[in-house]
Amino acid sequence: MPSNVAFDATDIVLSIVKIAVILGLWLNVTPIMVWVERRGSALIQDRPGPNRVGPFGLLQSFADALKFILKEDIIPAQAHKWLYTLAPTFGLIPALTTIAVVPWGRAFVIPEMHILGRTLFEGGRVFNPIIADVNAGILVIFALASLGVYGITIAGWSSSNKYSMFGAIRASAQMISYELSLTLAAVSVLLVAGSLRLTDVVAQQSDYYFVLFGFLKLPAWNIASPAMWLSFIIFFVSAFAETNRLPFDFAEAEAELVAGYHTEYSSMKFALFFMAEYMAMATMSAVITTLYLGGWDIPWYNEPATFFGFLLSFLAFMAKVSFLMFIFVWVRWTIPRLKYDILMRIGWKFFLPLAILNIVIVAAFIAGGWL
Amino acid sequence: MEYAIFFLFAAVAVIFALVVILHRNPVVGALSLVASFFALAVMYVLLEAPFLAALQVIVYAGAIMVLFLFVIMLLNLSHAPEPSTRPIQQFLGYTSSAAFLIGLIYYISKYAVTTSPTGVFQADARTIGIRMFEAYVFPFEMVSILLLAAIVGALYLSGRALPAASSSEVGK
Amino acid sequence: MIPTHWFLILSAILFTIGVCGVLTRRNGITIFMSIELMVNAVNLTFLAYARQMHDTHGLIFVFFIMAIAAAEAAIGLAIFISLFHHRDTIDVDEANLMHW
Repeated sequence: MPSNVAFDATDIVLSIVKIAVILGLWLNVTPIMVWVERRGSALIQDRPGPNRVGPFGLLQSFADALKFILKEDIIPAQAHKWLYTLAPTFGLIPALTTIAVVPWGRAFVIPEMHILGRTLFEGGRVFNPIIADVNAGILVIFALASLGVYGITIAGWSSSNKYSMFGAIRASAQMISYELSLTLAAVSVLLVAGSLRLTDVVAQQSDYYFVLFGFLKLPAWNIASPAMWLSFIIFFVSAFAETNRLPFDFAEAEAELVAGYHTEYSSMKFALFFMAEYMAMATMSAVITTLYLGGWDIPWYNEPATFFGFLLSFLAFMAKVSFLMFIFVWVRWTIPRLKYDILMRIGWKFFLPLAILNIVIVAAFIAGGWL
Repeated sequence: MEYAIFFLFAAVAVIFALVVILHRNPVVGALSLVASFFALAVMYVLLEAPFLAALQVIVYAGAIMVLFLFVIMLLNLSHAPEPSTRPIQQFLGYTSSAAFLIGLIYYISKYAVTTSPTGVFQADARTIGIRMFEAYVFPFEMVSILLLAAIVGALYLSGRALPAASSSEVGK
Repeated sequence: MIPTHWFLILSAILFTIGVCGVLTRRNGITIFMSIELMVNAVNLTFLAYARQMHDTHGLIFVFFIMAIAAAEAAIGLAIFISLFHHRDTIDVDEANLMHW
């Protein structure tokens, strides 16, 4: 709420620090993930992969970035100049802004600090590692995710190329379809948490389901819950469709559509689409981590409300996100692309009814007091 | 600070709304409308209804305007130039709406409350949900039937004219 | 906290722009978008008064208006597609089949 929050200069500085940390991490996702993807695919296909630039080819991504910057920026003569230029940014914005409502660590009390006789932080100020702790957090995620369609649609339309157009229409139809099951799967999470606020969702998951013999404790992560695994599967598979990753990457199916919606793009504009794809992947992994894998929670360990506890929980969060992103890569190089009509059929006739059924099941569990 | 945000996004909303009605290209119009709706969502946050702000973006920007954009692209409307209306119609339209606006602002400044509301207004999902399912259960069910009727109607209307493959996309 | 009348004036301006679009344009989809703009202006008024009077009824009305706008968009666009396939245009002046 803007009106009833007392904001002082320290809060603004802390907000800027949070934004800088997350933005820095998320902008570095792309070069790292490109390397992981290429080395990972090489590992899966039993070949060496890029290994010339830097140790293990680590600098290959930077060489690629340099190449993108130096390439000629082409705007097709028939294209709508304004929208053609703006489209890559439209794709990037949802991926970068969604992360603002995801908590990435345990809140801790900032200790009193004195530098040169001046009090830097007064005692008792809490650092909450989330950029915007809004009380409609889950809805904000889906609101911003639903804007991801525009980047692709505008890119495809403004290129005035029929392959781009086909790619764009396919991608947006696919994203709209899978958004439904994505949202409905997440409804069960907010039923369990009883709140739309993502910090509450994480707090609920850092509890335990039951304690056996005093030491056998099952963490209350949503993925471990007997009623939630169905919701997790729906959400996870829909996330692949939502981020346009294989086996659902019809937007850019090379064999059918040249390169899909970004056929006409070159140079940094193309690189922006590339970045948007990987950042959307990272954001989606962060959302899955928060909703189903307990967020920053470390099981069987009670993080203290100090900087050390924050650091541990932050590392746990990043470890979970990295693991999910590795699964994204793993799946891409393992499962072949589906057919487009099968994709739509799965979305509308299988996942959507299943997601609704899942809500009923979870509601029954809650009504029965088992959850 | 609050006033700065308000006037910035009010200007965004009004300018993009003007682009909607003045620009010849319907794709640009639809995208400007999205920007205008987004600015309105910011207004909703300023009005302490973040829940409805999120719904505004999900429903209007994420669903309805995508549908508009789809239809404009499928019908390929942006390449057919739109004939302008008769000058007399233009003149009457602009003058009458200007008179309408002046009248509205006159009456708002004369009769509307100019005091700020007192206290904090809590409008989170819980309050809205409780109110909705206590007092508005019947309208809620009616709306769900209406939506179902709209789905069936849209499928029927567009499915008759188009071949089966593309109609399934438009119906969504 | 911004006083309510500022929101009302913004809503009035947006509503008038919508009216103007309906009156001066011939493209059916642009007219339709102008109507959506008017609906949104009304939503803003509802929310402004909901905050002014500390009343959740206004919020629920906005909720219903959004649901009905979604239904309206689906039906309206389907009608325009149908019109386009019969007449090859969505100029509203050409849709005069029921005109005597």
